[in-house]
Amino acid sequence: MEQSGTSTRLAGAVQGLTSELVSALRSGDRFRLAGTVAEGQGPGTTADPSLAAVRVVGADVVLPSVLLRCPPPAPDDLTVFGKAVHAYPPPVQAAPTSVWSYWAMRRALLRLDASLDGAWGDDTEPGAAWLDDAPWQFLTHQLAVLAALALPGEDCAVARAARRRPLDVARGFVRAVRRRDWLQAAGAGRWLVLLDDVPRTLGLDTGLEFVAQMGGEDARVALQVEAAQLMRTGVLV
Amino acid sequence: MSSTEFQLEDLTEVPGTDVEAALDPVEADGVYRDSRQCAALALTSSSSNLLLSPPTPRPKKG
Repeated sequence: MEQSGTSTRLAGAVQGLTSELVSALRSGDRFRLAGTVAEGQGPGTTADPSLAAVRVVGADVVLPSVLLRCPPPAPDDLTVFGKAVHAYPPPVQAAPTSVWSYWAMRRALLRLDASLDGAWGDDTEPGAAWLDDAPWQFLTHQLAVLAALALPGEDCAVARAARRRPLDVARGFVRAVRRRDWLQAAGAGRWLVLLDDVPRTLGLDTGLEFVAQMGGEDARVALQVEAAQLMRTGVLV
Repeated sequence: MSSTEFQLEDLTEVPGTDVEAALDPVEADGVYRDSRQCAALALTSSSSNLLLSPPTPRPKKG
């Protein structure tokens, strides 16, 4: 499919940002969002693809501080994160994945900056009815898109939907590998790390290594595999 | 690409529609593994066998 110039630039910015996140996860070094993203021209600006990239990468932008023993993001990092949230709210007819990604970003920001509590009004969890009775292929695709929600101790409607259907997510993981959809496989694998009753015959560890080997040149794939493996080995705070 | 290059590059406006499209991607078209990749998976697989089950039938053309 042909991409517009701006979507191509956005995709490049997403790759750049995600690559920096992968480096931070592997090295354990503190990830500086403010040093990576040009901040644009003020609150609400959409003048920079790297700010839009923060919105696309979503709550995973603060993943190093969630998964590693490193200091929380600095105030200027949170400022950039907040600007991305403000600049790109989901429109009225937004897809559920956009709405959930936005919700996850807001919640991550509130967890990291308690001073914002109550400042953003309604923070009600979105519904997840679109996942009820979803075919396992579609369920896996949607969960992979929302892989940023796959975190230890996460309790939201999407995580509960995943927990109810470990076999379906496992089937989706296998399907994604066999279709060479490495990004979907990596996202599904990240969810599977957190689910109970995943068939041992799946060989999740080997599968994740294979996904990284085959698709790891895409920084988005590398990020999901890195997150999954960190959670798998328990190298957490 | 270094952080500095990343920071200085591309000050073009990104429409919200592009962001929404990135947040709601369609599923990528499937590409089926060839025998070399099956062999690579076999070499890296020790205890699992699910990924090595017979391949999904290819869609019929025409």
